[in-house]
Amino acid sequence: MKFLHYVLRNARRSPVRSLLTIGAMSMCLALMMILISFLSVNDAVASSLRTYNRLVVMSSQGFAQPVPFARVNEIAGMKGVKHTTTFAWFGGKYHDEPMPFAQFGVSADSIFSIYDEFTISPDQVKAFADDKMGCVIGRKLAEERNIKIGDPLPLKGDIYPLDLNLTVRGVYDGPGTRDLRMCFFHWDFLNEELKRVSKNSKMTDNAGVVVVKCDSADRMVPLSKEIDNLYLNSATPTRTQTEEAFNQMFAEMFGDLRGMIRTIGLAVVMSLIFVSGNAMAMALRERTTEIAVLKAMGFQRPLVVNLVLTEAILVAFIGGLIGALGTKAFFDVVDLSKHSGGFLPFFFVPWPTAILGLGASLVIGFFSGIFPALAAARLSVINGLRKVV
Amino acid sequence: MGKEHSIELRNVTKTYKRDEFTIPVLTDLDLVVPEGEFLALMGPSGSGKTTLLNLIAGLDNATQGSVIVHGQDLGGMSDGEITRWRSENVGFIFQLYNLIPVLTAFENVELPLLLTNLSKRKRRDNVMTALRAVGLEGREDHYPRQLSGGQEQRVAIARAIVTDPFLLVADEPTGDLDRKSAEEILSLLQQLNKGFNKTIVMVTHDPEAAQRASRLLHLDKGKLVHDEVRNNLEEGVASS
Repeated sequence: MKFLHYVLRNARRSPVRSLLTIGAMSMCLALMMILISFLSVNDAVASSLRTYNRLVVMSSQGFAQPVPFARVNEIAGMKGVKHTTTFAWFGGKYHDEPMPFAQFGVSADSIFSIYDEFTISPDQVKAFADDKMGCVIGRKLAEERNIKIGDPLPLKGDIYPLDLNLTVRGVYDGPGTRDLRMCFFHWDFLNEELKRVSKNSKMTDNAGVVVVKCDSADRMVPLSKEIDNLYLNSATPTRTQTEEAFNQMFAEMFGDLRGMIRTIGLAVVMSLIFVSGNAMAMALRERTTEIAVLKAMGFQRPLVVNLVLTEAILVAFIGGLIGALGTKAFFDVVDLSKHSGGFLPFFFVPWPTAILGLGASLVIGFFSGIFPALAAARLSVINGLRKVV
Repeated sequence: MGKEHSIELRNVTKTYKRDEFTIPVLTDLDLVVPEGEFLALMGPSGSGKTTLLNLIAGLDNATQGSVIVHGQDLGGMSDGEITRWRSENVGFIFQLYNLIPVLTAFENVELPLLLTNLSKRKRRDNVMTALRAVGLEGREDHYPRQLSGGQEQRVAIARAIVTDPFLLVADEPTGDLDRKSAEEILSLLQQLNKGFNKTIVMVTHDPEAAQRASRLLHLDKGKLVHDEVRNNLEEGVASS
């Protein structure tokens, strides 16, 4: 600690160089944090779903294939099932905006019992249930588009050959890790409209996927097997998995992207090591005589290594603080998802990702400093002093 | 060997290798410096003055022969041991002062004390004592750039004496100073030699500076060619 002021003074010796190094470090780490967060947010959200005991039943051929509506009631009668709902993706345009937010046809009487982390007043739930053309939207969607209860919410069909002229009957809220821009409407209404406009459509009586609320976590695995076994030999076999696994399935679609982001992250770390290492080496080259003087007056090699390393790590750590924690703080305040055109329901930098960035800065500091530090420790006092002594 | 001979060099040879060439710098040199002596080393460039100074200060090893300083054979010590030995026994004064520019005068003088186990308060007392001894009390918060060359060299001397080493080595300590400042520095060195019994070995090209020493050695081509013991210490102090 008694050498700390010496290290701090040295770190501030060339403010422009230190600031540029810190700037490069923080900028690159910030970009890395954003890239990694695209993946880790999904992981964090998926793992947070664990506690809600929800299963998702989809077609064994993929979630885009239909699951007959009859399954909803059949599954509801199975042991350990508390509630079920359809969850049919509508994917309509809002005015002329293509898919500005997610829209699902659901079972109005059970959706908020299944998604019990969402908060909504009982009056609004009842109003929604009582109005077949009603819908409930998320708080963020309501705020951003200034939509109030009672306002119309027209959706133009894009996948479906029909339009839905809905009326907002409620606004739900919930945790930050949930999509608060969704629109839930009556699946019955969608199905009836579909039958009206196209009697032979393959999309009628399609539940989309079935979301199941189980009464306990212990029941989830056996129930999954029971459901899939039940429909194994039917025309529409199912694949049942936990909601967490269902969400992870989307993350797995990024398989190659995930590897590429990791590679980019590694390349960023390596390039930062070179940038910081170069800055540190330049700084020490200018201080060759000083280091020789320190060694002449009795500074041992390990102490010289420690001083140089501490300085390198300090500079990198400041860059890490700004780059990693700064990015986290920024996205905690600024809601990127608001500007993503519906692409991101939410975006934040999870703590593990921020800590990873901070840790990366320490690693960068260590590796950028270790070689100049060892060179300084190995410096011959005679050569360092040259003609001074 | 007793401490009355604080420096003793026996048959010391130092050669450097440059590619395939072996360059002799000091050849078969014998030297005894009693404790409390103020020794000036003179000679043309390349005569081996600085190499001799480096050997005495424990910064370099002799190729042959032994260098015994303060009863310690420096040739048999490891890098760590000799570094620790230097911190306890040698103070360095350089031509270009070599202060750390980002540290104040106080912090520069305190640097060698950071290697000790002294408390912060004790370090402060010692630093202030050293700064007082060189006449820089009140300038402790000044950075090197805020001091004149003579004052910077005083800070360097304070840094050299703050651990109370028995030996001060100075390489052209007045080489970068004007005459007046040089006289002040030389008087200070004489005071440290006389008043605090510091053994001083000083390399200089300046005959006037050499006059302040109690003994004058001339080197040429790696050999001692002239050894003159002088008795002008009091005169030097009186004339400053």
